[in-house]
Amino acid sequence: MKPAAFAYLAPRGVEEAVDQLATHGAEARVLAGGQSLVRLMNTRMATPSVLVDINRIAELDQLDSDGDAIRIGATVRQRGCELARLVRDHLPLLAEAGAQVAHTAIRQRGTVVGSIAFADPSAELPAALLALDGQVVVRGQRGERLIDAEDFFVGPFANSLEPDELAIALRIPRTPAGRTGSAFLEVSRRQGDLPVCGVGAIVQLDGNDAVALARIALCGVHQRPIRVHDAEAALLGGELTDEQLEQAAHLAATAADPIDDCHGSANFRRHLARVLTRRALLTALDRARREDRADA
Amino acid sequence: MSTIERGTPTDAPETVYRWIGKSVPRKEDPKLLTGRGGYVGDLTVPGMLHAAVLRSPHPHARIRSIDTTAARALPGVVAVLTGAEALAHVNPMTAFCAEPVPQHAIAVDQVRYPGEAVAAVAARDRYIAEDACALIEVDYELLPPVVDPVEAMDEGAALVHDTLDSNVVFHRCLDFGDVTGDFARAHRVIRRGVRWHRMGAQPIETAGAICSYDPFDRFMTVWSNTNFHNFLPWSYAGMLGVPNNRLRMIPATVGGSFGSKHLINKVINIAGALTKATGRPVKFLEDRLDNIAANDNVGCDRLYDAALALSEDGEMLGLSLKIIDDYGAYFQFAHGQHGNALSQPTGPYRIRSLRYDVSCVLTNKVQQGFFRGAGADPGNFVLERLVDAAAEELGMDRVELRRRNFIAPEQFPYKVPTGNVYDSGNYPAVLDRALALADLEHWRAEQERLRAEGRYLGIGLATCQERSGYNASEWWFLYDQPPLGATSTPESVKVDIDATGNVRVEIGCPLWGNSPETVVSQVVAEELGIDPADVAVGYADSTTGAVSAGPGGSRLTIMLSGATRGAATTLREKMIRIAAHAMEIDASDVECADGAFRARGAPGTSMSMADVAMRAHLFMHDNPAGESSGLVETHTYDHPYSTPPSADRTDMGVFYPMMSHACHIPIVEVDPETGVVTVVKYYAVNDCGTLMNPALVEGQVVGGIVQGIGAALMEEYRYGEDGTLDTPTFREYLLPSVHEVPEIVLEHVQTPSPFTEYGVKGAGEGGRLIAPTAIASAIDDALKPFGARVEELPMTPERVVAAVQSAREARR
Amino acid sequence: MPEKIRITITVNDVLHDVLVEPRMLLVDFLRESLELPGTHVGCEQGVCGACTVLVDGGATRSCLVFAAQLDGATVRTVESLASPDGTLHPIQRAFPENHGLQCGFCTPGMLMATCELLEHSPAPEPGEVTEALGGNLCRCTGYQNILRSVGAASRMLAAEAGTPTLPVSTGASA
Repeated sequence: MKPAAFAYLAPRGVEEAVDQLATHGAEARVLAGGQSLVRLMNTRMATPSVLVDINRIAELDQLDSDGDAIRIGATVRQRGCELARLVRDHLPLLAEAGAQVAHTAIRQRGTVVGSIAFADPSAELPAALLALDGQVVVRGQRGERLIDAEDFFVGPFANSLEPDELAIALRIPRTPAGRTGSAFLEVSRRQGDLPVCGVGAIVQLDGNDAVALARIALCGVHQRPIRVHDAEAALLGGELTDEQLEQAAHLAATAADPIDDCHGSANFRRHLARVLTRRALLTALDRARREDRADA
Repeated sequence: MSTIERGTPTDAPETVYRWIGKSVPRKEDPKLLTGRGGYVGDLTVPGMLHAAVLRSPHPHARIRSIDTTAARALPGVVAVLTGAEALAHVNPMTAFCAEPVPQHAIAVDQVRYPGEAVAAVAARDRYIAEDACALIEVDYELLPPVVDPVEAMDEGAALVHDTLDSNVVFHRCLDFGDVTGDFARAHRVIRRGVRWHRMGAQPIETAGAICSYDPFDRFMTVWSNTNFHNFLPWSYAGMLGVPNNRLRMIPATVGGSFGSKHLINKVINIAGALTKATGRPVKFLEDRLDNIAANDNVGCDRLYDAALALSEDGEMLGLSLKIIDDYGAYFQFAHGQHGNALSQPTGPYRIRSLRYDVSCVLTNKVQQGFFRGAGADPGNFVLERLVDAAAEELGMDRVELRRRNFIAPEQFPYKVPTGNVYDSGNYPAVLDRALALADLEHWRAEQERLRAEGRYLGIGLATCQERSGYNASEWWFLYDQPPLGATSTPESVKVDIDATGNVRVEIGCPLWGNSPETVVSQVVAEELGIDPADVAVGYADSTTGAVSAGPGGSRLTIMLSGATRGAATTLREKMIRIAAHAMEIDASDVECADGAFRARGAPGTSMSMADVAMRAHLFMHDNPAGESSGLVETHTYDHPYSTPPSADRTDMGVFYPMMSHACHIPIVEVDPETGVVTVVKYYAVNDCGTLMNPALVEGQVVGGIVQGIGAALMEEYRYGEDGTLDTPTFREYLLPSVHEVPEIVLEHVQTPSPFTEYGVKGAGEGGRLIAPTAIASAIDDALKPFGARVEELPMTPERVVAAVQSAREARR
Repeated sequence: MPEKIRITITVNDVLHDVLVEPRMLLVDFLRESLELPGTHVGCEQGVCGACTVLVDGGATRSCLVFAAQLDGATVRTVESLASPDGTLHPIQRAFPENHGLQCGFCTPGMLMATCELLEHSPAPEPGEVTEALGGNLCRCTGYQNILRSVGAASRMLAAEAGTPTLPVSTGASA
C-alpha cells in the first residue's frame, strides 16, 4: 500500500503556507503529524497532489495562556499537550480525552489541531473541543478569523475551512475552577482504538449543589461530534438526580443518529450514548463534588 | 476396523534426560534480534522486479473487459498480466484435494470474492507497480452476490460456480456407533445452536515469493515463505509449468503462519507468471490489504445445530452435530477442517456415539484453508457449550459432570467413536491441578463482593483435547473416492558429522516462529552426548531436502524428534562400530557419552568423537569391512501410528492419536451495559506429554491463548449484505494487543505418549483450541444473574449487550 | 514527476546526503535505499508497530512518515543496537533470555519501543511498560514474555549503568 505521487512543500512561515494552499486549492493537503493523513494516503483513499508540511513553522509550536483561554498551536503534539501542566490544570477534559487517543507513538507525532482539522466523527479530541466551547484560529489570504467548534465540524472528515485557510491554533476557554468536574468516557473495541461511542462531560455545581454549568458532547454517534444542548439546559439549576441523569442520557441517545459499521450498529451506538452519557455525568459530578481534576 | 495397538514406549517413564526437558536457549534468536531475519521482504536478487495486484472490489462479477494499455505505458512498468494472459505462462492452481472447479491465481472471466486478483503488474518498484494498477480499467458486469451460507443452500440461489449444480459443494452425514439408539434411550437431550464466525491467521508478516525463471535452462527458482517446498514441490512445478526436476524452492524465514502459509500457491503462481513474462526475477510480497482479502487460509465459518444425549444421572451417551460451513468461493483444502474435528469431537468424555452431518457451502468470500486449530477449535466450543448447558439443565455441578464422564487413565489407548485413538492422558489430574491453581475460593468471594457493587465477574472452565500429529487421511476421508488419498505425512532430517566431529543438521521444514533448530539440537545433543550449542542447523531447499510435511497440526516437535533421533541413532551406532573396531573391543561394550566413545567400565579406553569421525571419513581400510566412508544420515520419520479408514467409513481409522489435553480457567469481568469484556486473569494446566523444552511450550500455549482471546472477543471477517468486505485492514480486523491480555498462569502435567520418541506430544495449537470456549464459559458465569448465554463467537460488546437484553426479554 | 527532495539525515550514526522522492515512506527508505532490512512492514496503517524506529529519540511509525520530512533528523533502527563485533545490547540479551520472541517479525519494533521507554524511564512501572508497548502487535508470543523481557532489560541496564564500555544509546552520534 504505497501512496500516489505528490509534490512536497515545506514552508517556513504561516503566510507562505497560506499562499501555497491558495495556489493549489483542493489539490493540496496540510501535513502536520501525518498519523491520519499518511494512513489514508497509503491506501490511496487520499491522493493529494501537493503536501504542505507545516512542521517547520516555528510559531505554530506554542502552547500557552491567552487571557482566560489556552492557546494550542498547530504543531503542538498530542502527547506534549496531554502532559502539559497548563492543560492538565485548566483543560482537564482535553487531557483525559487526549490520553485515550491511539498509542503513545502515534500521539508523539500526531498534533491536537491536526486531529481537530481531520474531523473524524468518531474521534475523541473533536468531541472534547466541542464540550469545552473551543475555537479554531484560522489564517487565510483574507486574514485571520475564529471559528467556533460547533461551526467547524460540518460532516464526516469535513471541516469548514476554505481551501486557502490553515488552522493555526485552538483557543479554548479555561474550565472554571471550583466545584467543577470533567470526565471523558468511551467504549472502544480495544484500548487505543477509536471510540465506538465517547462522551465528554463537564459539570459545575453552585453553592447549593445545583448544576451551574453542564456540557455534554459525544463522538461516534453522528456525522460529526455533537453537543446535547437540550440535555444541558434541562440540567441547569437543579440537583443531578437519577431521574435527571436518565433524562439527559435519553436526550443524548435521541440526538444520536449513528451509522452501522463493523464495530457497532447504529442501535448499539445509540444504546452506548445513553449508557455513557449517564456515566460521564455521574463521574463529572463526583469529581465536581470532590473538586477533583480528571486524572490524565 | 482398526485395532488398538498398545505402543511400546521407547523409553521407560523414569528416563532421565540430559537435554530433553530443559529450557535450552533458542538457536533461532540471534538473527531475529539483529534485523538479519531473512524474511522474503529482506531478500533481493539482481534484476528483481516488484509486483502489485489489482483486486476486484466486487464480490461477484463477470469481467467484460480489461484495458491495461495505460498501465503498460507507464515508465518503470515491465509487464502487466490479466488472468487470461497469465495462462500463457502458468497453469491453474493445483487442486490440493478435490477442487471441483479450476482456480486461477488471477481471475479469468469472473471474480468470485471481493479482493480476488484481476491483474498483476511487474515494475521497478512497488510504488510504480501500484501506480500501474490504478491505471488499469476493468469493466465489470455485476452478478448477484452469494453471502449468506444458509440462503446459498436454497434451490433458487445464485451460483458461485455455474459449472456446479449447487453451492453445496459437499455434504455427508456419518453415524458412528448407535446414535439413534443412544438418543432414543436418553433421559435428557440438550440442544443448542452455536455460531463460530470466520477468522483468519493474520500473521504480522504476509505471504510472499520471489520467482526467478531462467528461460535458457527452463529452470525456476523460488524463494518463499511456503511450508510445502519439501512436501509437494511437484505441485508447484506443475502449476508453474516447469518439469519437476527444474524447480528449486528455497525457504525464507517466516514471520508467523498459524496455518496460513501452508500452500500460498496464489502468491507463487502470480510471481511465477510474471517472471516468465518478463524473463526477470519478480517478487510478489502481499501487503496487508492483499493478505486479509485474499490469503486463502481463513478458518472455519460454521453454524452448528448440536445435541447431547445424557442419562438421568448425567452420563453422556451420544452427540449429534449438524453443521453448515461457509467455505467461501473455492474448496482448495476440501473438508480438511472437518476431518480434523473428527479426531476429537467427543472431547475427553466417554461419549460413545456421534452423528456428524456436514454441508460445505460455497459463497462469494475468500476461501477457507487452515488456521491454528484447523476445525477442532469450533468443535471444542460446541461440545463444551453443550456440556455446560447439560450441567445447568440437570442441576449438576459443571466440574462434576465433566469428571464423571472423563475417560479414565487406565482406559488408554482409548478409541473414540470415529475410530481415532487417544494415546494417553490423565484428565482428572489435569482438572484437579487446574482447580487448585486457580484459587477458586478467592475468585468466588471476589465474584460475590463485586456483584454487591453491581459488577459482574465470571469464572470459566473448559476441559478439552488438543490433537497433535495429523495423518493426511483427515484431508480426504469423508470422500469414498478421494482424488488423492494420501496417507504419508513424514518429516525428514539429515544429520551430517564432518571429519572433525562437527555436527550439522539439515531440516526439511521452514522456520515459522516455532523452534525447529532448537528442538533438533536438543535431540542430537541427547543422542550423541554433546552440547546443543555445538550443533549447527540449516534448512534444506526442495532439491536437497527429503520429504517433509513441516509444521502444522501441532506435529513438528513429535516429527522432528523422531526424524532426528532416527538419524542420530544410526550415526551413533556406526560410530560405535568404528570406535569398537579401533579400540579392539566389542561394539556392545562401547557407550557414547560426553562427546566420546568409551569402553563401558573402563573409562580410560576411549576415543573422542573427532577421532572417530576422522577415521570414519578417511580411513576406510582401518574400519570394519563393509562400513561406508563418511557420517551422514537422512532419516524420514513417518507418522508413528496411523491406520486407514474402513471402506464404509464407519471407522475413520487412527489418524491423530497423540492427544494432548488441558484445563483452562479464565477469570473475566463483563460490563452488561456496555458489553465490554475484560480478561482479568487466566489459569491453564496443559498436558502435552513429555516436555521437550518447557520455555518453548509455554510460549506456544500462551501465544495460542491470546489468539483464543482474539477469537472469543474481537476477531471476525465481516461481509456486508452486498458482499463487500468490511474488515480489510488491521483497523477493522482486530488482533489482541498487550492491553487485552491478563497474567496467564500455566502449569504442566506430563503424561507421555506411548507412540512417540521421548513420549512427546504437540503443543502448538492447544491455546487457541481451548481459550475461546473457556472464555465463553466465563462470560456465561459472569452473566448468570441475567441468564444470558454465549452462543456465538466472537462475543463483541454489541453481542454481549444483545445477549443480556434478549435474556431479559425472555424472562418477562 | 514531482521534484525530489534533498535530505541530510543521520541513520544509525551514519550521515546521508541524498535525494528522495517525496512519497517514499521512511520504512522503505531504510529498507530499500539504505539496505537496512531490520525494520519491518506489517500493515502500513500505523496499527501494528512492526515498523517502529526512533526518530530524534522518539518511537515513530516509519510507515506513517515520509523520508522527505526528515531533513536534519536522527534515526535509529534495530541495526544500531548491537556492535559489529557481536556484542548485543542488553535489551537484545534480555529478550532471548526470557523467550520474548518467536517468529521475530514484530521484534525489531518491540526492541525500539523498549529502547525509547528505558531511555526515558529506566525503571518503569508495569503500567508504563504496557502503555509503551500497547501499540505494538505480536501474533506469536501472547506478550507475557515480552513484558518479562522488558523488566529484565531494565534490571540489566540498571546493573550495568555507569560502565563506560557499554554504549547506552542516546540517539545522538557516538
